[in-house]
Amino acid sequence: MEFVVSAMPKRNADIEAGLFFTLFGGLTVALSLQYNLGTIAAMGPGLFPLMLGTLLAIIGLVIFIKGILFGGEEARSLPLWPIIMITASLLVFAFLLLTVGLAFAVPAQVFIALRASPHFSLMRAIALSLGLLAFCYVVFVYFLGIPVPMIGI
Amino acid sequence: MDLYNNLGIGFETALSLHNLAFCFIGVLVGTAIGILPGLGPLATIAMLLPLTYSLEPVTGLIMIAGIYYGAQYGGSTTAILVNLPGESSSIVSCLDGYQMARNGRAGAALAIAALGSFFAGTVATILIAAFSPALAEVAFLFGPVEYFAMMVLGLTAATLLAHGSFIKGVAMVLTGLILGLVGADVNSGTYRFTFGSFSLTEGIEFVAVAMGLFAFTDILTNIRADTAREVEAPSFANLWMTRKEARQAAFPILRGTAIGSLLGLLPGGGAMISSFASYAIEKRLSKTPEQFGHGAVAGLAGPESANNAGAQTSFIPMLTLGIPSNGVMALMIGALMVHNIAPGPYVMVSNPEIFWGLIASMWIGNAMLVVLNLPLIPLWVRLIQVHYWILFPIILTVCCVGLYSISNRVLPIYFAAGFTVMGCLFWRMRAEAAPLLLGFILGPLMEEHFRRALLLSDGDMAIFYQSPLSVAMLSIAAVMCLVVLLPQIRRGRSVAFTEET
Repeated sequence: MEFVVSAMPKRNADIEAGLFFTLFGGLTVALSLQYNLGTIAAMGPGLFPLMLGTLLAIIGLVIFIKGILFGGEEARSLPLWPIIMITASLLVFAFLLLTVGLAFAVPAQVFIALRASPHFSLMRAIALSLGLLAFCYVVFVYFLGIPVPMIGI
Repeated sequence: MDLYNNLGIGFETALSLHNLAFCFIGVLVGTAIGILPGLGPLATIAMLLPLTYSLEPVTGLIMIAGIYYGAQYGGSTTAILVNLPGESSSIVSCLDGYQMARNGRAGAALAIAALGSFFAGTVATILIAAFSPALAEVAFLFGPVEYFAMMVLGLTAATLLAHGSFIKGVAMVLTGLILGLVGADVNSGTYRFTFGSFSLTEGIEFVAVAMGLFAFTDILTNIRADTAREVEAPSFANLWMTRKEARQAAFPILRGTAIGSLLGLLPGGGAMISSFASYAIEKRLSKTPEQFGHGAVAGLAGPESANNAGAQTSFIPMLTLGIPSNGVMALMIGALMVHNIAPGPYVMVSNPEIFWGLIASMWIGNAMLVVLNLPLIPLWVRLIQVHYWILFPIILTVCCVGLYSISNRVLPIYFAAGFTVMGCLFWRMRAEAAPLLLGFILGPLMEEHFRRALLLSDGDMAIFYQSPLSVAMLSIAAVMCLVVLLPQIRRGRSVAFTEET
């Protein structure tokens, strides 16, 4: 086996992926051991996940080792601020939908999500919120009849 | 003949006003998203999937299928007009299509793309109608052993042909299989991986996974690249192609259709690979290969036909075997399952109107697209210029309402938020998310067949190499793994099929 001497990227995607898959596989293995394994002929609920988890952990290790030995691909940098804002906008929408209704959940989501974009402006957020609210009312509530509260209790 | 009867049922279903309307909406939305930057077919279908739940199953599928092949058309339009592949399968169309447009032949290029795609779509529809019943006959002979082997083969091939690193793809499939097992175990009723929570007993909501990993993750990775696009409306002085161009396009269209139809059948195949293969072949066969890249008609006509044929024939494995060959097919299977229709050969027998209606609608949808595409081009040009900051809040809200509407609960929205974070991690680690979705869909089925096979053999693993069919499929899968892994290990770098999306 020949070793390719390549510049090791600063953030190695293979090492990270390897670790992730190994941990996820390991977690699966640990959890499946709680369940009845049964025999090969009459498998319990734990056996198939145990096999998958073991296989995944092994493959994860292979990716990890490959990353250490050969450098691997460079990891992309995460867009942290957008991730926080977009995720927050989802959570806020889910929380507000059933507490105060769609009429508040949509503007809240639009405001928070737009903050993630470099093109945020108050006017744009207001315009988009109003447009989307009208759209939601016509399409979802009026035409599709989804029982979503416009203004909650 | 049976085929005529069947197609009769199909057209009767597809031509009902209701279904025609949704077919139209599907291809229209599909074309629009093929054109809109940063919104792929997978994300859009995930977004609209919950809204199809309230429709009849056949109507929902017709619409989803329309979105899928409509996106192919839309993707070619932007490729030709502004050198931007709206969709990964139209990357190749940029090469010569855009050059044709710059030479003042934009109208002709669009016409060739539309007619080539229509021809390919027609042939592929006939192929599906002709071969699906035969394939389903074979599938009826399958026992649990063969099914298990076929899923292994299908997942391996799908991972292999998808872009990105193969070994990470396998890890993603396994991750998906594991996530698919969450919830009540069918055989024993044990709740697995629910962490004592009641909300997980029915498993993780499939749409939440798809939206988190595709729609929302796409938003996050596109949000920074939001720049205005300046597009000049093309001149349509010569909208129709000349006789010479028509002659140059004829054979590439035929060859492209053949290549696409064949490659679409492969798991993981479909539109993108077909178009690449067709381009390579046309260039090799051409008497004037130096024209390629400078507006060669063959370099546009071939791949355009191939990607449409491939997109359509990739329905065959899904419809007959219940095995998704790519992410979009996985979503279609999810849609079937919601309506309590088990995908596989039985669909054709128990719900012929779904099967044949879907097939007939594909032809109708393709015909609509030809009529739709050319006159609407001014509108599409406007659409290319839409800013992403307008688009992504709309996607978010529509998705959230959709997630809520599945079961009138907000829980799936929380799950989708979790999978968004996960999707970003995968993006960072350069692990493709599509194989995970395939695994997620097939997880429970695979376990079921695996357990049943070993129950039949009384725990003897040898059963997997006693059936010739199963041996053949498993060996092909093993050979495929070896072929990819060996050079990778030697070179220590993945060069298999890296492509930036």
